[in-house]
Amino acid sequence: MNEHLTGAAPVDAPVVDESTIVLGVETSCDETAVACVRGGRDVLSSVVSSQVDLHARYGGVVPEIASRAHNELIIPVMARALLEAGLDGEDVDAVAATTGPGLIGALLVGVSAAKALALAWDVPFVAVNHLEAHLYAGFLEDPDLQFPMVVLLVSGGHTLLVHVEDHGRYRLLGQTLDDAAGEAFDKVARFLGLGYPGGPAIDSIAMSGDPEAIAFPRSMLGDGLDFSFSGLKTAVVNHVRANPQVATEDVAASFQQAVVDVLVAKARRAAEATGAAALALGGGVAANSLLREQFLGACAEDGLHAFLPSREMCTDNAAMIASTGWYRLRRDGATPLDCGADPNERLATT
Amino acid sequence: MLILGIETATTQVGCAIGGHEGVLASVHAAKGRRHAEYLVPSIEFACERARVELSEIGVVAVDVGPGLFTGLRVGVATAKSLAFALRVPMIGVSSLDLLAFRVRFSGRLIVTTVDARRGELYYACYRQVPGGVQRITDHLIGTPDDLASELLASGEEVLLVGEGAQRYPEAFDGLAKVELVDTGDSYPSAEALVELAHASALREQFERPDVIEPIYLRRPDAEINWAIRDGR
Ligand SMILES: [Zn+2]
Repeated sequence: MNEHLTGAAPVDAPVVDESTIVLGVETSCDETAVACVRGGRDVLSSVVSSQVDLHARYGGVVPEIASRAHNELIIPVMARALLEAGLDGEDVDAVAATTGPGLIGALLVGVSAAKALALAWDVPFVAVNHLEAHLYAGFLEDPDLQFPMVVLLVSGGHTLLVHVEDHGRYRLLGQTLDDAAGEAFDKVARFLGLGYPGGPAIDSIAMSGDPEAIAFPRSMLGDGLDFSFSGLKTAVVNHVRANPQVATEDVAASFQQAVVDVLVAKARRAAEATGAAALALGGGVAANSLLREQFLGACAEDGLHAFLPSREMCTDNAAMIASTGWYRLRRDGATPLDCGADPNERLATT
Repeated sequence: MLILGIETATTQVGCAIGGHEGVLASVHAAKGRRHAEYLVPSIEFACERARVELSEIGVVAVDVGPGLFTGLRVGVATAKSLAFALRVPMIGVSSLDLLAFRVRFSGRLIVTTVDARRGELYYACYRQVPGGVQRITDHLIGTPDDLASELLASGEEVLLVGEGAQRYPEAFDGLAKVELVDTGDSYPSAEALVELAHASALREQFERPDVIEPIYLRRPDAEINWAIRDGR
């Protein structure tokens, strides 16, 4: 982890209040995003340029292609975010950027651009952890969201259960021991010839399949709050090889059901174990329709305040970076300008 | 008109500030490829030393490579974001041109090189013209042995410059007419960048921040592999 995230002394103590406008920059994977957020909550603009088409033929994100595209898109996206917010550079009070985790070459484009803006406008720079930002995405849409809560963060790169006790206080309850949930969707979709990205492809074809057709394993359902998805992927491959005539719709639907069952069961158990009153979903996989439906059902049954971000807030965006940057600036002050990026940056947990 | 020059094409990180009175301040560091960490603090330091406020900068110049992909992107992303925020124009200069500028008083054929990794070099050839040197080839990429054969075939007296060729002295050992410069001047410099950019600025040869991109010369591996598999 970077030193600057462990509470190095603030560079100076900027006044951070409801009128403070933070410009956020996000380039950790394959979305080039810039947003302007006032007071940590009021989204003035949120521009996301997806590179998904550039990577589709390779069946996954290619780091060098992503880095080149970020470098080409960063200025136009930045210009549009300011324009849509109706702001000039002088109106921005701080600049935040994702410093990790993510693809190092991609991260460095955003960090470099953000530090340059902070230097030119003479405003504080704030380093933001991408995972922490996903936890904050909920606040942007639900002002009633309260601590403590449990967040299930599921994306192509991560599968985490986090107990959010307060601003900046996170306890990691469980995580994947191998593949991330989104990664499992991509790999299975690729194997089934459904294309990339795998999440939406499986989501849509599964609608016409039977989720009970094949009894795929519910990995580690009984043990603790960690996840494992690589065995499930292998089970799908083995089943299709052994039954070449099987309907792809049924395989997709049964696979999706197995993933969602495990995710929802563990999220519920985490809420129960911590006594949290609210359960939130985050990350790209949170856009999956079966997961959304079963998550809401479970929360209703258990009497939990459910929070489901919109699709825009689930997937990578810079509004969540700007929002987290506002909270972080208020709590810890600015990040020194000699900070870099850390591809493996962890969420600071208690 | 004050120019800020940013140079990150090799393992070195550099920046300089100058104008019609020459270079006012410059900072160079070459340790451990920490471009992103060093660059912005270096710019702050150079401004202090030159007693210049960033808001007084009228042009941002940047070394656009060829060179280390990640280093170049740090430099280019920083430079264009600065230019965007300061609302000033940009000037992009090639790393190989910067190396040639330092030896512009030589009458020999000048060949400049930057390490391209994977056993290859980026290189280009220059000839003296009134007032400086002129590049007479494209930016090229090849192995040290490819370059050595070309130089031998040309039959010319050659001044070979840059950290690229310096890494492979054995490739050029047997060439009687080739002098491999192995002292100083082996990295593109931010001072040369400011001087070259100043000449372009006088001719108003500016570029917009949203169009400045690194010179890569190599496609991403995935694209190359795809093309091979696909027979393109
Ligand atoms: Zn994400």
